[in-house]
Amino acid sequence: MASASSVRFTLTYLIFAFTCFLAIVSLILVRLSIILSPHRLKPSELNRAGSAHLLIVLGSGGHTAEMVAMLERAVNEDETTRRFEWKRFKHRTWVVSSGDSISAQRARAFEDMASGNGTTASGSQRQRAQILTVPRAREIHQPIYTAPISSLRCLFATFGLLLGCSRSGRDFPDIILCNGPATATIIVFTAVLLRFFNVRNCHSRGKMRTVYVESWARVKKLSLSGNLLEGVADRFVVQWPQLAKGGRGSREFLGVLV
Amino acid sequence: MSAQNQQKTCLVTIGATASFAALVEAVLDPTFLSGLEANNYTHLLIQYGQDGQQLFDASLQRSLQSNTPSSLQISGFPIDTSGLKSHLLLAKGHANPSATPGVVISHAGSGTILDCLRISVPLIVVPNSELLDNHQVELAEALAEQEYVVHGRLEDLTGALGEVEQIRERIEGKKWPPVNSGVHREARGLKGVLNEEMGWLD
Repeated sequence: MASASSVRFTLTYLIFAFTCFLAIVSLILVRLSIILSPHRLKPSELNRAGSAHLLIVLGSGGHTAEMVAMLERAVNEDETTRRFEWKRFKHRTWVVSSGDSISAQRARAFEDMASGNGTTASGSQRQRAQILTVPRAREIHQPIYTAPISSLRCLFATFGLLLGCSRSGRDFPDIILCNGPATATIIVFTAVLLRFFNVRNCHSRGKMRTVYVESWARVKKLSLSGNLLEGVADRFVVQWPQLAKGGRGSREFLGVLV
Repeated sequence: MSAQNQQKTCLVTIGATASFAALVEAVLDPTFLSGLEANNYTHLLIQYGQDGQQLFDASLQRSLQSNTPSSLQISGFPIDTSGLKSHLLLAKGHANPSATPGVVISHAGSGTILDCLRISVPLIVVPNSELLDNHQVELAEALAEQEYVVHGRLEDLTGALGEVEQIRERIEGKKWPPVNSGVHREARGLKGVLNEEMGWLD
């Protein structure tokens, strides 16, 4: 008798636990589908465009070169319909990996070119651009099994960086623009996590929309970062037509951007 | 002025990120050096990377010993933090009035390839097979197919030099970025994406 009731108790308990588990999982999924939906409200619709804030992630070597080439091309286009007005983003934050002085230098040079114009505004314009450093997520030849540790360190730094932005006058970035470095993947996931918990109302204020541009060097297959971010980033742009055909339908090919 | 007197530079670059010893060795191989001379090159300039000095010196010594004295001027440097631009223009033949267009031989890094395409200097791309995964070969093949570059192989760089001379005019006439055609003519590129994400309508 006693054993039968204890079996029944255990069974009830298990069913209860399982139901709770299912409920939690489905709540998480619902929440994820809300915060990951590209159709959620956009910054200007929330009347925040006056102080638009763009965050650009630089990797090293090729990633930085491609990012800078893409931005240079966008701000220097001959046709006005394609030319991007850099100063429309009142705040710019560049993220570089520690020790990568070349990327920091390229960011500064770009800011001088794009917002300087030799006018008196150049000094204050430059102040609106900040270059921040995070520890490197993965060295180029670092063995894959130590990557989680360095990635975790990078993740903590990224949290600090985004929260730091929000506490300063700049607020969270409206857009996070990146290509393939590991650091970029971590920043995008950090942004998703912050939106998940709606930290400082970042989700309800339409902050941190993410734009991923796959490296021009990827012709037939996505990079590791690309694989991780497909379906997570709000926009997923590839630069070769044959690469746009695969995937889950979210890949966009808009011509070569670099 | 005869073709022999004109300065013609071959620039070799392995990039700033990873080392590429096999390429440094291959371009200092006596066969390749005579290939350069056969194609009227006068200068060979090698960017060999942060840790490449020893390798460069040793390979140069070896080929100088085995080769008959030649007029080819060989020099090298580890890395130029101010960028590769001035060196690329040297290979482009813009150094002085008596210079003639040469060639760049490069690892398959996208940054260097872009820099070369933007100034239309003939480029031989040699993918580094030692790197993590070999997507660089895909890029080299795709660009070679469209005749933007010559896809070079370590075993036959001399052949690639000849290939450059065959399609030199077509390569030098190409423009980067390519003119968007079809549906992409209307696309607004990065500006379009950023505007849409911000909700800016213009």
